[in-house]
Amino acid sequence: MKMHKFLLMALIVLFLPLMSLAAETGSAIKADVIRAEPYADAKKTGDFKRGEKLQILDKKGAWLKVKTAKTGGWVRLLSVKRGAGGSGNQLAGVLDVASGRAGTGKVVATTGIRGLNEEELKNAKYNEAEVKKLESYTQTSQQGNQFAKSGGLKAVKFNYLPESQQGGEK
Amino acid sequence: MKVIYFILIVSLSFLMPQAYALDLGDTLKDVIKSNVSGKTGNDSKEVSSPDAAKNEKRINFRNPSMDEEIQIGREITGNLLGAAPLVNDAALQKYVNQVGRWVANQSERGNLPWHFGVIESEDINAFAAPGGYVVITKGLYRKLENEAQLAGVLAHEIAHVTKSHHLKILQKSQLLDLGADLLGKQLGKNNQIIQKVIGSGAEICARSLDKNAEFEADRMGVTLTARAGYEPYGLPEVLQTIGQTNKNDNSVALLFKTHPHPDDRLLKLDEAIGNRLDAIKDGKTLSNRFYKLKN
Ligand SMILES: [Zn+2]
Repeated sequence: MKMHKFLLMALIVLFLPLMSLAAETGSAIKADVIRAEPYADAKKTGDFKRGEKLQILDKKGAWLKVKTAKTGGWVRLLSVKRGAGGSGNQLAGVLDVASGRAGTGKVVATTGIRGLNEEELKNAKYNEAEVKKLESYTQTSQQGNQFAKSGGLKAVKFNYLPESQQGGEK
Repeated sequence: MKVIYFILIVSLSFLMPQAYALDLGDTLKDVIKSNVSGKTGNDSKEVSSPDAAKNEKRINFRNPSMDEEIQIGREITGNLLGAAPLVNDAALQKYVNQVGRWVANQSERGNLPWHFGVIESEDINAFAAPGGYVVITKGLYRKLENEAQLAGVLAHEIAHVTKSHHLKILQKSQLLDLGADLLGKQLGKNNQIIQKVIGSGAEICARSLDKNAEFEADRMGVTLTARAGYEPYGLPEVLQTIGQTNKNDNSVALLFKTHPHPDDRLLKLDEAIGNRLDAIKDGKTLSNRFYKLKN
């Protein structure tokens, strides 16, 4: 009996992420092509229009695996907006699950919330002790490089992105 | 002493007709002299003094030295920290400095003594001040899922600093209003005068930049993230997350007022990125090393 209960709990725990995973919705912020694989030259499996609702199933680098009413496949991450749109979707989504963050960190204490509105900024009084504290954590350039190395990060040569490929903007 | 003198010059330069403001030579020292000695001083053609000549230094706020820029940023940051102090977690603060420093090393201004901090506020926002001061709120940090996303957020702010976006705002508007207020007043300590320059408290942090400056900071932010070896979509992912927040939610009120809506920022990024990032294949997210908040 005890074992049975345990199994049930285990099942619930196991499937919870899947449930919220299925619940992640999104919408297209522009018309784009859906592809069979997360690559620019992969076979086209369909497309969608701006504003079309879709489900987000997975993420790989710059690509999201989605499902629309008609078809499914991979689209560029920047063509899709997460959430149901406007209503402030609080569900832990697939992206959270992918990063192991689901179910954690979403709890925000409701007491003692400190805002930071214009009025508060305007009336702020200089705090030297806090600046000193901030400066006490400063890392040197070399320390930064060391930190990168310890995480396996390597600097990559990459030019600044130009304003827009399509032009139209000054 | 040099700094004090600079601030005097900077502050007073804007008492003058604009033609003079661009060249702060002897004329300016004369204004200072006349002002300090209690004469009314809208006229910049006063008699020169030999004392003033001793401290001669031609400085122009339009092209401040690194030390001067830092001094201004420090004052702004001090005010901001007066509104919301640092989160009391040394490991967290060290971590954001490590990530931030590495990303800043990829910019043109790796020589600045960059400072990063997380402040005690549930608002979702981040701020940059001249000279390499970058602050993000705990509310925003809470939304982050991995180190690449943190790098992306910090990179956007680093770009504001390297492009002197806020310094330019000060140069354009605020400083020019100074005049009347300073006239006839006893000049205070140097930081009191900087206070005059930056306005009331940390209100400069609530100012909106030009939309194009924000889009530029986004493009540079993605670039710096990529250069640092991270998964380059860290910043866009955060924008997607923030975009889900209800517009009427207080926690994003200031961010949405000072920045274009995340959806617009994503569209602009998409236009700029196209397939340019396709070649970057092994960018890291480092989610396992991402520092988890204690509360
Ligand atoms: Zn910005």
